[in-house]
Amino acid sequence: MDRGRGRVHVGDGVLTANRAGTRRDFLRISAVSAGGLVLGVRFAGAAVETLTRADAGTAAAFRPNAWVRVDAAGGVVLTVGKSEMGQGVRTSLPMIVAEQLEVDVDSVLLEQAVPGPDYPGLGTAGSRSIRSLWLPLSKAGAAAREMLIAAAAARWGVEPGSCRAERGRVMHPASGRSLGYGELVEAASARAVPEDPPLKGSSQFRLVGRDRRRVDGPRIVSGEAVYSGDVRRPGMRFASVIRCPVAGGTLRSFDATAATAIPGVRLVAPIPTGLAVIADDTWAALSGREAVERTVVWDEGENARVSSDTMRDRLAQALNGAGGGESHALRRGDDVASAMEKAAKRIRAEYAFAFQAHAPMEPLNALADARSDRCEIWAGTQNPNGVQEEAARRLGLAPSAVTVNVTLLGGGFGRRGTDYVLEAVEASRAAKAPVQVLWTRPDDMRHDLYHPISLHRLEAGVDAAGKPLAWRHRQASVAWSSAAGRPATEERLRSDLGGAQDQPYAIPAVSAEFLEVASPVRIGAWRAIQNNHNMFAVEGFVDELAAAAGEDPLRYRLALLQGRGTYTGGRDNASVDRDRLARVLSLAGEKAGWGARGSSATVPGRGRGVACAVYDGYTYCAIVADASVGGGRWRAERIVCAVDCGLAINPLGIRAQVEGAVAWALSALATRVTLKEGRVEQATYRDFPILRFRDMPGVETHVVRSDAPPTGMGEPPVPVALAAVMNALSAAAGRRLRRVPVDPGDLNPSGTGA
Amino acid sequence: MPRHTFTVNGRPRTVDAPAAMPLLWVLRDRLGLTGTKFGCGVGVCGACTVHLDGKAVRSCQTSIGELAGRGVTTIEGLRENSVADAVKEAWLAEDVAQCGYCQPGQLIQAAGLLSGAGTRAPSDAEIEAAMNDNLCRCGTYLRIRAAIRRAAAGGARSS
Repeated sequence: MDRGRGRVHVGDGVLTANRAGTRRDFLRISAVSAGGLVLGVRFAGAAVETLTRADAGTAAAFRPNAWVRVDAAGGVVLTVGKSEMGQGVRTSLPMIVAEQLEVDVDSVLLEQAVPGPDYPGLGTAGSRSIRSLWLPLSKAGAAAREMLIAAAAARWGVEPGSCRAERGRVMHPASGRSLGYGELVEAASARAVPEDPPLKGSSQFRLVGRDRRRVDGPRIVSGEAVYSGDVRRPGMRFASVIRCPVAGGTLRSFDATAATAIPGVRLVAPIPTGLAVIADDTWAALSGREAVERTVVWDEGENARVSSDTMRDRLAQALNGAGGGESHALRRGDDVASAMEKAAKRIRAEYAFAFQAHAPMEPLNALADARSDRCEIWAGTQNPNGVQEEAARRLGLAPSAVTVNVTLLGGGFGRRGTDYVLEAVEASRAAKAPVQVLWTRPDDMRHDLYHPISLHRLEAGVDAAGKPLAWRHRQASVAWSSAAGRPATEERLRSDLGGAQDQPYAIPAVSAEFLEVASPVRIGAWRAIQNNHNMFAVEGFVDELAAAAGEDPLRYRLALLQGRGTYTGGRDNASVDRDRLARVLSLAGEKAGWGARGSSATVPGRGRGVACAVYDGYTYCAIVADASVGGGRWRAERIVCAVDCGLAINPLGIRAQVEGAVAWALSALATRVTLKEGRVEQATYRDFPILRFRDMPGVETHVVRSDAPPTGMGEPPVPVALAAVMNALSAAAGRRLRRVPVDPGDLNPSGTGA
Repeated sequence: MPRHTFTVNGRPRTVDAPAAMPLLWVLRDRLGLTGTKFGCGVGVCGACTVHLDGKAVRSCQTSIGELAGRGVTTIEGLRENSVADAVKEAWLAEDVAQCGYCQPGQLIQAAGLLSGAGTRAPSDAEIEAAMNDNLCRCGTYLRIRAAIRRAAAGGARSS
């Protein structure tokens, strides 16, 4: 992508060529008049900050949000609004189109869609890209192929069934004739779009299921890859924003005299989130910021009374029923209270998980050029529609007057939504020039949308053999910023209780309960979201039940899964097959050499742990971890992962996501965000020590062969890795670890730690 | 404003800037070389790594005032020698990058290691020591290790 470029307007002049009566709206295909053969499809979006699964387009006229275009030169362009943040979506999506369209995958150019009223649902979140686009893109590729074949057959006067497509050409083997796609697009685009084009089966795949390297790789290693901070525009300024150290505080006063005396500083301007120092280059902006920051006075507001201790008290009070907040539960099976009554024994434990920051390597930044009648934005964002809508609202413009160019993201992980982009819009409006707002590392650490803090109380009633009859998981936590104060609908609870309400084990009575407490900081989506703490607590507690029953933790889990049928899980209430989870669990155990001795340590200070989960009702994952403890330190030694994500599109990318998920989980075991008088205490990677090169364990990934619809891989292994390593560390330390991050005091094998 | 003269990727450059201005911002905001990335500004993440007279340094911790007569190589200039080519080829062969943001710094750091190792392949301990202060939030460390081994085995040697 050229700098400042990357816009496409394929969707201009969409024809209403779609037909009524297609079974599911998002699968409808329409021809588009934009030159060449263009097919538009619609896929269900996933807005980052609202977590709705809106935009399935039930009643409205068909509005496509992805396009496949075959041009007159035979080239293929896939236009789709999925943001690339390292998950490899720009690499895997063209594989799907090329497979069905019968073209070389390298001939498919991926263009980033620009959101607009007609381009809804471009969000990238929830490990949903492959899941939501697999069928629509396959159908679009197959429809284009069938239309090209039909056009060639008509020209030759032969039956379409006697022709076949191969590498961008239609062949008629009987006569030896062939025509390139480019020669056929005009005739093909005049033909009817097939109602339900036949899809190639997996036995015929030549691309899907084979390793494909990242298409962005060459530009990344040459330094040419463009992130939003790399975009340059004529006359642009650079800005740094001073924000109140306490969330919710407001600006009372400042003195810009010293700052504006610095060469290159243009303007010091209040914006809704703080004070923007706008200059000719970044260094001048940072120097000006330093000069003015000393003079700023804030009204800090009531969050300044909240520290980490306050949060611990709030969570404990909520669990004890003294929090004053409402309780909301989701249940499965029989009544838990009466099932508990029948139990031979009850087991209880409490688990805790800290606030966490995203800390992507690229600090948040965005560039905006806000004019009186239009606005253009360059941002690495997961939510371009949200940016467009909110920027338009702030500027009093129609959404169509706001253009959002999505660049590569230097790590997304759920963080890159709208807030920092809107700062650039506000600063540009104040400066009457294009302005790039760059967050410093402390800004990024202290004004994040944090992963929620939580405290979990688990209780199980077991029979005389130690088998669970009743399971109660009560969780006190804070709600997403966008959800706080909103009614606890069942849909919202499925998210807040993700991994708890749909824990996989066949237990007759299950209840998961959410107790909301107020948060002094903003909360957002953090890779694998609430499944992180919920699955950590569930998988730790299952280990405790196994230990109480005197059973091996892997075999104890298998007994609660194998042949135990289905249940509904995840935000979509998807049907989950316990046998698929049992298979990945067995596979991970087998590949890791989980022996008769199970998790018990053979060497002092070493331990092995296992965990498994079904992510959001879709991706089945199990991990066996080896870990060691000693001298108050810990280390993950080896990770063996088995995963069933349905049909594997790009196994190379799947392995990369597992490695990344392991690194993410191991970082979380070492990092935490703490508060003192409303202020986040961490500022850099020194006090938020993410995983380093030396501490990365070996990772082995085994992908189950499957023809089931493909699911997602960005998030699912994270909570499983986290829980498996915690279980391994518990085995190594000889005591149950119930807090994330790991408390070095808990690692003393003698049991005299904190 | 003081004037500073130094070379960047073999080309002489003259920049008027405060002496304390970090090389990172000189490259990105004055010279248009945006391949060098800002990650922390305090020298703890390695995203801004460049070669200064052939040695890997953090450009956020190097001020323009220190550059008189010296030579800077950025990711854009990491090419046309055997180490640079081998490292980049290995990075692609191992499919190292995820988001890619830290990778220019990782590549520069790795090239510095291989150049410094001379004709010898670096040991695992040497690789760890050289790479441990270059952070990657996506977790590409295993592939970085494999790529460095591959580049070393493939004959990446200082010329």
